[in-house]
Amino acid sequence: MLVRVLTQLLVVITLLTIVSTAAFVGRYRLRDTRLEWRRRLRAVAPITVLLAVVLLFNSVARQVVPELSWILDWNLTWAIYDLEGQFIVWLQSQATPTLTAYFSFIYIYGYIFLLVFPVVAYFALSNTRPLRELLAAYTLNYALGLVLYVFIVAYGPRNVMPELVEALLYDTYPQYQHLTRQVNRNTNVLPSLHTSLAATVTFMAYRTRGVYPGWFLLATVLGISVAISTMYLGIHWAIDVLAGIALAYVSVTAAARLVGRWSASTWLRNRVSSIRKR
Amino acid sequence: MTGSVSDGCDRPLVGRRAVLAATTGLTVGTSGCVRRVRSIVNRDGIDQLSLTITTVPADGDRESILLARAVRAAFEDAGMDVRIEMRSQEEFFRSVLINHDFDVYVGQHPGGVDPDYLYEALHSRYVDEAGWQNPFGFSNLAFDDVLEAQRAADGDDREEAVADTLEALAAEQPFVPICVPDEYRLARTDRFDGWDDASLATRTALLGLEPVGDDADDRTLRVVHTDARPAENLNPLMVEYRDQGGIADLVYDSLATETDDGDVTPWLATDWEWDDGTMTVDLREDCQFHDGETLTAEDAAFTYRFLADTTLGGDVAAPSPRYRGRVASVESVDDLDEHRLELSFETGAPAAERALTVPVLPKHVWEERSEVPSVPGVRVAGGTTEALVTDNVPPIGSGPFRFTEWQERDYVAFERFDDHFTLEDGVDRPEPTVAALRVSIDPRSTSAIERVADNDADVTTLPLESYVVDDVLESSREDVRVLETPSWSFYHLGFNARKAPFGNPRFRRVVGRLLDKEWLVEDVFDGHARPVATPVTPEWVPDALEWNGEDPAVPFLGEGGRLNETAVRDAFEDAGFRHDGDRLRVSR
Repeated sequence: MLVRVLTQLLVVITLLTIVSTAAFVGRYRLRDTRLEWRRRLRAVAPITVLLAVVLLFNSVARQVVPELSWILDWNLTWAIYDLEGQFIVWLQSQATPTLTAYFSFIYIYGYIFLLVFPVVAYFALSNTRPLRELLAAYTLNYALGLVLYVFIVAYGPRNVMPELVEALLYDTYPQYQHLTRQVNRNTNVLPSLHTSLAATVTFMAYRTRGVYPGWFLLATVLGISVAISTMYLGIHWAIDVLAGIALAYVSVTAAARLVGRWSASTWLRNRVSSIRKR
Repeated sequence: MTGSVSDGCDRPLVGRRAVLAATTGLTVGTSGCVRRVRSIVNRDGIDQLSLTITTVPADGDRESILLARAVRAAFEDAGMDVRIEMRSQEEFFRSVLINHDFDVYVGQHPGGVDPDYLYEALHSRYVDEAGWQNPFGFSNLAFDDVLEAQRAADGDDREEAVADTLEALAAEQPFVPICVPDEYRLARTDRFDGWDDASLATRTALLGLEPVGDDADDRTLRVVHTDARPAENLNPLMVEYRDQGGIADLVYDSLATETDDGDVTPWLATDWEWDDGTMTVDLREDCQFHDGETLTAEDAAFTYRFLADTTLGGDVAAPSPRYRGRVASVESVDDLDEHRLELSFETGAPAAERALTVPVLPKHVWEERSEVPSVPGVRVAGGTTEALVTDNVPPIGSGPFRFTEWQERDYVAFERFDDHFTLEDGVDRPEPTVAALRVSIDPRSTSAIERVADNDADVTTLPLESYVVDDVLESSREDVRVLETPSWSFYHLGFNARKAPFGNPRFRRVVGRLLDKEWLVEDVFDGHARPVATPVTPEWVPDALEWNGEDPAVPFLGEGGRLNETAVRDAFEDAGFRHDGDRLRVSR
C-alpha cells in the first residue's frame, strides 16, 4: 500500500519537475549546469550536509518530542479553538468535491513539488547563493519548528471537529493516511510546517523574481494554496498557518544574513595551511 | 452631645467638642467600618459555575470528543461556563484514573459482563486508589452497603440485590451512563473461518480459527488495530495503555476465563471447588512461561499478592490499578503444592470466580519490579513501583502467543507458543491455530476497512467508529464478513465528587437531565448505540430502569436535543442552586 502511494508520488513529482524545468529554467541554464555542476555541488555541500543532519535528528526526535511535550503539558488546543474555531467551520462550509480534490492534490503533491522544484531551479543558476539560502532556510524551519513542538501541545481541527472534516483527505483518500502517518504526530500542529516551508519557497521566489519571474507567480499561487489546504482539510488552525508564515519569514531573513558568513572551504583551507606551516 | 458617632463610615464629624469624642469615636467607628468591609470582603463570591470537560481527541476516540462538545453545548445552555481539555489517551487516563485531576470527563467505561464490576467502580474504600476503582471519588456509606450485599449474595437473592444496587445508582448518578455503542468488526473469510465463535472482545477471540485452503498451517493472522497503544507498551497492569481489545491478554493466561455471556470457565486451572468461602483450584501440569520456566501454583499465588500490593509490603501500598477490584475479594492465598492453590473469600461464589480471571504473572520476572523506580533529579510519587511504569517489552507470559518483535507505534508481532496447554492432546479448549500473529496499527477506521478489503489484513480487532458503520453494512462483499459482537462498555459522563458542586447528588441528578441520550445516540453515533439508564448488560436491567423512550431515572429537561430553559432553571433552583436565567451561580 505504502509502496504504491510512494511510487505514484515519485512519478507525479518527477513529471511536474521536468515540465517546470523546461518552462522556467530553459536550455541555456541547463547547458551551463552541465559544465559547472561540480563547482556548484561543492559550494552547496556544507549546507546540504547540515540539512541532512537536521532532518535525521528530526526524524529521531519526532518520537521523543510528544513525550517531552506531555511532561511540560502546555496544551493550547482549547485556547485556539475558542479564539478561531468558527473560522474553520466557515471554511469547511465552502467545501465542494472539486475544491476537496484540488486541495488534497495540493496538500500532498503540490507541497512536495513546491519544495523540490526550487532546488533544481536554483541549482541551475551559476550563482549558488539562492540555493544555499534556500537550504539554510529549510534547515532553520525544521530546527525552529521542532523547538516549538516541544513546548506546545495542540491538536488540529480534525481532532476537535471530526464531523466537519470526515469527508476530506483521509476518508476520501485513505491511502494518504499511510503517507502522512509516517511524517506527522497529531499533537504537533503549531506552527504548520507545511505552511512555513511553502511560504519559505514563496519568499525565496520573491527574492529571485528577477531571474525566475514565472516561478515567482506559480510559487505564490501554490504557496497560498498549500496554506489554505492545511486549514481546508482540517489539519491546521489559522493560527498555525500564521505562525508558519512568521516562521518562514524568520527563517528566510536569518538565512539571508547567515549564508556566506562562514565558509567551510575557507576554514578547511586555513586549517590545512596552518598545519602545513608547522 | 454633638458629634456623636453612630456610623463611622458615613457621617463627617462636626464641631470642636467633637474632637475629644472623635478620638474614641474614631476608634470605635473605624473598627465598625473595617468590620463591615471585612464582612464584605471575606465573603466568598457566588460566581457562574465554570468547569472543564476532559476528553480525548478524535484520533483517540471520535465519539468522545463529539459527545464532549454536545455536552458542552447543553451545559452552556444551562448557564455554565465550559471549556474542553483534550488529552492523548494515555494522558487522559493518567489525569482521570491516576491523578484524579479533572472536573468532569466524557469517555468510555470498560464496564463488565457481570454487574459486580460496580463494586470496584463505586465503593468508597477505593476513593484514593488509581485505576477504574472509583475514579469519581464517590463515597456513600449506604451505597457501600448495597454494593456489599450484592457481592455477598448467591443465586436468586443476587438478582434482587443487583436490582437494589442499580436503583440506588440511578438515584445517586455518580456518573451519567449515556449509551452502549453497537460493536461492528470486519473479518475476511477467505483465509480463516470460525469468526463468530467468540466475541472479539474476549481472550479467546483469536483462538480456534479455522484456516481455509491449502498450506494453512504456517499462516500468519494479520490483525489491524486502530489504537496505537499496544505498540507503545505491553504492561498488563497499566491502566493508561490497556482498556479494551486485549492484545496484551494473548501473552498471558488466567486461571479461568470469562465468556461473553458472563460465565467463568476453567482455563489454566483444570477445575476448582467452592466450599463456603474457600476455593481450591487445581492447575494444569507442565505449563511453561515463554522463557522456558515452569509455571506453578507459586506463580499464581504470587500474582494475587502482587496485584494487591506491587510493593510487596512497602511503606505505601501500591495496588495494581488494573484487576484491583477482582482480586480485592481474595482474603488470603496459599499454594498447597506445585499444582494446587487455596484461596479464601468473604464474598459469594460469583464474585469469587471473577478473581480467577486475572493474568498469571511469572514471579521470577515481576518480583524485582516491586522496587521504586528512579529518575535522576525527580521525586517519585509514593505508591509508584517499577511494575506500574515499565513498558514490559518483551512480555513474558504463558499465553497462547509469544511476543517476537515490534516497531514502536507501527506493529507488534507474535508467534504461536507451541508449548501452550491448549495444543496438548486431550485438552478441549480453543487453541492458537495460526503460526504467527501480526498486529498492525492503523489509527482510522476508514483505512482499517480498506486494509481488510484489499486483503492486507484479516480482521479489525477494535470496533469500527460508528460513522463508517452504515457504509460497511451497505457494501456487501463475498469474502468479508461484518461481525456484530455484544458489548458492555459504555460512554458516560463522569463527575469528580471530590470537587464542589459535583459531590452533590442533587446537582448530578439535574446535570443528568441536561443530556438527551436518545438524541445523542442519533447525532453522535448515527443510531448505532442504545441509550441506557443503567450501565449493565440487558439481562440485569430491572424493570424500573428499562429504557422506555426516555430515561426513567433522569428524564431529559426538554425535547429533541433542545433544553427547556425555564425547566432547567427551576430544576437547579429546586436542587438548591441559584440561577439568574442566564447563568448558573454557585459558591465554590
